[in-house]
Amino acid sequence: MTVSPNPEGQSRLIEEIIDKGICVRCGACVGLCPYFHFFDGKVVVMDRCDADTWNCLQLCPRANPEGDILNESGGIGSYKTVTMARATDKEIRETSQYGGTVSSIIISGLQSDQIGSAVLTDRGGATSPEGRLARNRKDVLDCAGSRYSASGSLSILNGCIKDGEDRIAMVGVPCQMEALARMRELMPDGEERYGRVSLKIGLFCTWALDYRQLDAFLKKEGVKDPVNKFDIPPPPSEVFRVQTQGKWRDFPLSQIRPFVQKGCSFCQDMTAQEADLSVGTVEGIEGWNTVVLRTDKGAEIFNEAIEEGWLETQAFPEDNLEHLKEAAQNKRERGKKSIIKGVRGQAWE
Amino acid sequence: MGIISHRSGEIDVLLQGNEAIARGALEAGVLFCAGYPGNPSSEIIETLIEASKELPIYVEWSVNEKVALEAATAASFSGCRALVSMKQNGVNVISDFLIHLTLSGIKGGLVLVTCDDPSGVSSINEEDARAFAPLAEIPLLEPSTPQEALDMTRWAFELSEQIGNVVMVRSLTRISHTRTNVKINDLPDFETTPRFDTNAPFHTFPVVEKHKKRQKKLDQAMEMFETSSFNRYKGPTEPELLIIGSGCARSYATEAVEILGLRERVGILHLGTTWPLPKDLATRHLRASERVLFAEDVDPFIENSVKALAADLGNELGTKEFFGKASGHIPSTGETSPALLLEVLGEIFHISWKNSFYREKIAALIGDATPPREFGFCPGCPHRGSYYAIKTALAWDDRDGFVSGDIGCYTLGIFPTGFSQVKSVHAMGSGLGLASGFGKLEKFGFDQPVVTVCGDSTFFHSGFPALVNAKFNDSDILLLILDNSATAMTGFQPHPGTGTNAIGDRVEPIDIEAVCRSLGVDVISADPYDTEETARIIYDLIKRTGPRVLVLRRKCALVQGREGGFPYKMRVDQERCKGEECGCGRYCTRIFRCPGLIWDEPVQKAKVDEVICVGCGICATVCPHSAIIREEK
Amino acid sequence: MMDPINIVITGVGGQGNVLASQILGRAALQQGFKTTIGETFGLSQRGGGVMSHIRLSEKNNYGPLIPPNMAHIIVGLEPLEALRVLPEYGNEDTLFVVNARPIYPLNVIAGDVKYPDPKWIRQILIESGKRVFWLEATQLALELGGPIMLNMIMLGALCALPGFPVGGNDIKNVLKDVFSQSKVKQNSKAVDVGGDLIQTHED
Repeated sequence: MTVSPNPEGQSRLIEEIIDKGICVRCGACVGLCPYFHFFDGKVVVMDRCDADTWNCLQLCPRANPEGDILNESGGIGSYKTVTMARATDKEIRETSQYGGTVSSIIISGLQSDQIGSAVLTDRGGATSPEGRLARNRKDVLDCAGSRYSASGSLSILNGCIKDGEDRIAMVGVPCQMEALARMRELMPDGEERYGRVSLKIGLFCTWALDYRQLDAFLKKEGVKDPVNKFDIPPPPSEVFRVQTQGKWRDFPLSQIRPFVQKGCSFCQDMTAQEADLSVGTVEGIEGWNTVVLRTDKGAEIFNEAIEEGWLETQAFPEDNLEHLKEAAQNKRERGKKSIIKGVRGQAWE
Repeated sequence: MGIISHRSGEIDVLLQGNEAIARGALEAGVLFCAGYPGNPSSEIIETLIEASKELPIYVEWSVNEKVALEAATAASFSGCRALVSMKQNGVNVISDFLIHLTLSGIKGGLVLVTCDDPSGVSSINEEDARAFAPLAEIPLLEPSTPQEALDMTRWAFELSEQIGNVVMVRSLTRISHTRTNVKINDLPDFETTPRFDTNAPFHTFPVVEKHKKRQKKLDQAMEMFETSSFNRYKGPTEPELLIIGSGCARSYATEAVEILGLRERVGILHLGTTWPLPKDLATRHLRASERVLFAEDVDPFIENSVKALAADLGNELGTKEFFGKASGHIPSTGETSPALLLEVLGEIFHISWKNSFYREKIAALIGDATPPREFGFCPGCPHRGSYYAIKTALAWDDRDGFVSGDIGCYTLGIFPTGFSQVKSVHAMGSGLGLASGFGKLEKFGFDQPVVTVCGDSTFFHSGFPALVNAKFNDSDILLLILDNSATAMTGFQPHPGTGTNAIGDRVEPIDIEAVCRSLGVDVISADPYDTEETARIIYDLIKRTGPRVLVLRRKCALVQGREGGFPYKMRVDQERCKGEECGCGRYCTRIFRCPGLIWDEPVQKAKVDEVICVGCGICATVCPHSAIIREEK
Repeated sequence: MMDPINIVITGVGGQGNVLASQILGRAALQQGFKTTIGETFGLSQRGGGVMSHIRLSEKNNYGPLIPPNMAHIIVGLEPLEALRVLPEYGNEDTLFVVNARPIYPLNVIAGDVKYPDPKWIRQILIESGKRVFWLEATQLALELGGPIMLNMIMLGALCALPGFPVGGNDIKNVLKDVFSQSKVKQNSKAVDVGGDLIQTHED
């Protein structure tokens, strides 16, 4: 992986990523310095920095497309095996979005002391979802479920590393996994800092919504109470479901699509190739997760969760795997096209 | 007993111009004095407050200048002498009442003192308030020294009573804030009993008749001016150049003439009574010289009236050569100075006065090595915390929000010390009025959040009507009242919220929150030192609609310093400080900018300047690496 | 001595410049001088520059501003401020009485501009005027009870200059009119300390 140094640092990040609206709110640049905050669903510039040394621009997954990372294999990237899993624990299954696999692995890891803590994404409510450092089962369950909007949770990782945290599990979407890889490799003390992340769990992602736009839309539509749960049921339903105080309201997906983050259209990674293991839904089979095991570490902790009785598994249907690879390849192609169209601006030219 | 209230006079004392004005009023037997604080005028009322402890006079800080004039006028209508004082901006505030008052006329001597501030040394404009004298058709006196300030103020009361109208006295920063030997005179007995004569009402009807009467009074004043001892001529009978000057510019001209050795060639007509222009006096001097230089601060006020006279008498006087604002010799912006008068006279007489060799040598030695001193809030100032919280909230909001500012120490929010958050500043209270308007633009697509800030004193002065307007019209206004319990900029005068008045009486303080609540406006308060929490509150308030008020309350750091000081001893752990490195980039010194937290150049780390730091502790929360340590004292 | 004697006292808001000038003015008045003190403080509470022009004459009350390059003495409560007024008011015969300790402007603290090396400032003043008294006065003020004692130390120094017509004792005689009883002693001491600094000064 090669990166050409950019002495312009923060200004260039602001001009080419943040001001152009293509920040995907991964949070990599937040929590390292006082100049960026993640606040209410957005990475915001607090002040202008003129430091000669700089990390923020190098770490940004949007400023650095690094096609070579993502193109090393097609489709879902390199992996050992793909399988199906779900939680055995009833409470986990009910709280979770689909099969509860991620929550189970984290709880298993915390209990066996394989990991000390995990950076997850909370449910938000009155404000946007945000990263949270989870240390026990309750914390994990508080964070279960998908919000469909970015949480900037790498900022929490940055913060807890500064506070001395070790053996951290990081759960995040593909852009966050990519940023994490960059942080470890490119920061002068990256190995020392991010070597403390002992497990990376990637979440499948096709896009995320701009929280502030979604929030304004929902408020305009009369959804005043904090949302407990969001859902997009599998095709062909084409709806976006919002649950407040136990009641579901459905919106046509076409009304929601305009709030997809502009930066997501450049993403070439659906399945978080930089993770130790990646987790997503299984098309057509409700209540189960797809699990892509990529590294020894990922396989080890996954198998341990099975051995400890937190997870049950099933063979992954061959058709589904083809489908998954095709979908991932399609995202890759779309992302490449967007980049070629130059919509991403001049970030790496 | 203070010198100001010394009953017997004929002694030489060191008085500031403003003290001399106050003494002049006392020597005239003033009974009622009112004003609103504003540099360079504040010490007039402050001096009179001191005098009121020993003399039977009434003094008040009014809630604004217009009310001050109205209140003082009541004494005049009742046959007593009254004085109002203000800075130049204040005359704008009184102008509506003044222009009607001068039609109705007055009874007891009523003197209006304006202290103009050329160059805006302590102001946000440098207007020439003399323009109100012709507009209101009232006589104008311009002292050039503290002694004249005393003598003219005393005489202004007599003049006022003789013509039955207000008399204006114009001081300047360089007179108000200059101390010199001043000869004081005996004080009178202060024995007037106010009585309003219901057979002689004060109003403006019939308008045209009253207008004519007002102009007659002006003619009467002019007649007295013709022989006034405040106008003096010094110089040869037929000077090569006649200088007509007033105020400080006149004294600079006098010294310049001496320095250049022009005493035998230049005559100076020192005008103290500048409006209406004493025509006969001016004509006599115009006849004696072909060339005329006008020396006055800011507007071509004397210049224009003398030129109008010269035009009227064109046939008799012939063509004169005029040097002044119109010719470009004396600028109509910025204050005059000895250097300016030396320069202009040197040019007119082709005399080189500058020690250019020395100046050039020094300039070459120094180069551009003298950095200017940037304006800044004091160490410990709550405004730094308030603006830091505002900056944070507006950054979180991220829609290019801004602050509609107002007048007070917190005006400095336009500079980096207030993180340059303030994007508009005009008259007292205008920040609120502007915000009230911005708050109605949303339906046209305006989505920038606007925060308006206003000090406690400014709120009472003229912010209140704008808040009422916002409530009345349901405007989305977010008002932050920066309550530091003082009129800090001008010297800690009390105001309606402080619980004491000018003369030190305990009065029930007006509770700003209660006032807002009674308007039906939501109001909460927060601590500007707790920047994080305050920022969250501001962020939440920005998202709400309708009129909202947040009171940010902390004592002015200078007051706190006197009343027991601050709890912390601050230090920087230079091991932890990251300095210029990525991850900090000198955040505390470069962004937060407190004079007590400096940059240790040799080691390239931050450091506390123990001489300057007061120990408020805010900066400890600013360092991203917890290198700024606060310890209990 | 010249007539008038023109003195510039310059410093930063909060250093007690205006008070020092007033005290000097009162003492001069008691010596029979026609005294004029022009004060420039403007927006400065702290941080901004503050300058006083003091003019003593046996004949006239002069205007509030000293004409260009006609200061006989420049008292700098802060070195940068002394340097700042030099081109406008100094001349070959000017005496400088300067406190050595800088108060950094915010734009210097922020790194926008550089504060000149105080040693260099001293050298410039030496080259530009007649004599420079470079005093470590802030340190002594701290020892006397706080930075606010600085103004009386510097005033004591000014009045100890050879030939200056107002003496330290004249200053001490008016302190009781200005300070509360409890502070007179401390401030008198400061005036003496300033005088000693001049007596023992080595160029």
